[in-house]
Amino acid sequence: MADAELKQKVEELIAANPVLLFMKGTPEMPRCGFSMRVVQALDTMDVEYGAVDVLPALQPLREVTAEISDWQTFPQLYVNGELLGGADIVEEMFDSGELAEALGAEQPAGAAPAQAAIPAQPAQAPPLQIE
Amino acid sequence: MIEAALPGAAVEVVDETGGGDHLRTTVTAAQFKGLSRIDQHRLVKAAVKPRFDDGTIHALSVKTAVPGS
Repeated sequence: MADAELKQKVEELIAANPVLLFMKGTPEMPRCGFSMRVVQALDTMDVEYGAVDVLPALQPLREVTAEISDWQTFPQLYVNGELLGGADIVEEMFDSGELAEALGAEQPAGAAPAQAAIPAQPAQAPPLQIE
Repeated sequence: MIEAALPGAAVEVVDETGGGDHLRTTVTAAQFKGLSRIDQHRLVKAAVKPRFDDGTIHALSVKTAVPGS
């Protein structure tokens, strides 16, 4: 059973951020290759997004997201309140152009996440903190 | 295991590290038709959950497709 207070906090964050990434580490310093791949895809898109570092409360957050969206692994990308997917899905949708569509962004010409060593613009939203 | 959960599905599994616990799978199933990618992945993950629970698999990279598309 997930922590009710944490669950409410997470639901509020998902509602408040049209594009929200739960990840290991921060966009500036991802601590997991899968999280890094999603950050690279988002940075290439030049969209503003919120990011939550799950590492300080990994197990409680797994329990919360299991209840909210039936998904326990991170990263998790939420768009307009819905879980879009983890790294596999985000990358597949990035490659097909569906991610740009889902985000209302423009598909960068010829860019692939792996090649985006230097994002056009860093993520503008400061990292969100889970207390 | 995936084939049992999704009868008729075409399942391809690649052992990424040679250790048998980091796998990549491609699942093509008619049952995926009309489902979002996330729901397709949920079906696959639910099918293999016992192997995660008992520690046989540590990581599974999933790619899903609907036959004929």
